[in-house]
Amino acid sequence: MARELRLSLDGEEFAVIINKVSREKLYGDVEVEAFDEKGNPADLLTLSADGKTFIDTGGTSLATVTAEGTSISRADLIATDIHGEKLDEVPSSFNHANTLKKATVEEYLSQVVKSVYVLEPAEGSDLKLLQSQFPKNIYKFDFSYRGGLEFDSAFVLGNKTDAFLIVGKQGEFEFVKLNQVSVLESTEEDISADDLDFDLL
Amino acid sequence: MAINISNSKNRDAVVALEAVTPQRLVRYVDDRDKPVSTRKLLKADVEHDLAQLQKKNKDPEKLGKALIKDDQEIDTEKFGMFLSDLSRVYVSKKGIVHLVEEFEIIKNPDGTVRTRRPRRKESQNINTDIPLRWTGKFIKKEAAIEKFIFTNKKQLVHINGLTFDFLFEMAQTLEKKDSLMLLRGGEKGDKPLIMNRGGKSYNAFLEGRTKGKSYCLILHLSNMELKKPAEPETDGDND
Repeated sequence: MARELRLSLDGEEFAVIINKVSREKLYGDVEVEAFDEKGNPADLLTLSADGKTFIDTGGTSLATVTAEGTSISRADLIATDIHGEKLDEVPSSFNHANTLKKATVEEYLSQVVKSVYVLEPAEGSDLKLLQSQFPKNIYKFDFSYRGGLEFDSAFVLGNKTDAFLIVGKQGEFEFVKLNQVSVLESTEEDISADDLDFDLL
Repeated sequence: MAINISNSKNRDAVVALEAVTPQRLVRYVDDRDKPVSTRKLLKADVEHDLAQLQKKNKDPEKLGKALIKDDQEIDTEKFGMFLSDLSRVYVSKKGIVHLVEEFEIIKNPDGTVRTRRPRRKESQNINTDIPLRWTGKFIKKEAAIEKFIFTNKKQLVHINGLTFDFLFEMAQTLEKKDSLMLLRGGEKGDKPLIMNRGGKSYNAFLEGRTKGKSYCLILHLSNMELKKPAEPETDGDND
């Protein structure tokens, strides 16, 4: 059974089910078939530096190593913040009510997106009140799917018909400096973007 | 990465395009407070895959016994070695293929095949003789986030004093408009952006922010609309 995520807005609680949205589910998928000169099927493999070891999908793994190059188990690692302070674990967002706070468009646009979910009302729940906030408002909360060491940033936003949960992390943007500043007056007119094609880009 | 972009006056310049990575707020250390790193290692090669082992021993029962007795699925010399300088190659039964014919199978969201065609590998169009076009098509930020998912982001950075002015002006213009601007490539200035040959196409939107005498020009890349799929799956391995 799907887990319920509880969102709280101005004292009102909404139980939702989240369903992942992907490009494949929206537009379909593209698979590539390859053949050699004689028409034999060819597989895309990874070749190691020795020039003779072929590795298929799933043939590699990531290991954590110490400064000396010795492998170390994840269970033996100590997680710290950027100041070196030991971190406490964060709970899964499915274990408690998540309070929604208002967010700005710039905050949302600063996020590097990891996952997109569509929100559906859980059994006995009604999202009309939450839905009425969109598209005017955007909300945010700290999100962790399974719990762990840090939260992701999650934004709740929507359009006239649906509400979405966009999960990601703040991007490392930099304001770039130099001495001179000049102002450019623009004369372009605003136009609609309704005709953009997203299918099979 | 370089990007050739024009401004509203149809002046163009080549500037740097840098990746935007997510903030890393967690560090991992060992019990001596020393930082650790991640390395890629070999878990299994093709020679020891089940398919290859089955070719040598077609009877599953005998194969099972052989695996238990001789550990045929493991190469103790190789497995666990750190990997670097990896290449991607096509391999057929004749070995590495240097001349390959590729086909794309386009599938609908329900998995049915829509079409099969020779693979198209479009060239990159962000740094060519034809600069990316300042389309003047502004979309209010609120309207843009309601329609598109920005699946990737890059940042434009100047490479000298002249291009600082060039980009600062762009950022300022966009900030004043409180809008994103659609950016297009190609001769007619009507193509989505392709970063690498054969890479994904993206609808690209430029956002500008300024802070005092500094600027931040963000290229938001989208290959997906913010909309509900026809038949969403329920929460399974969703994360």
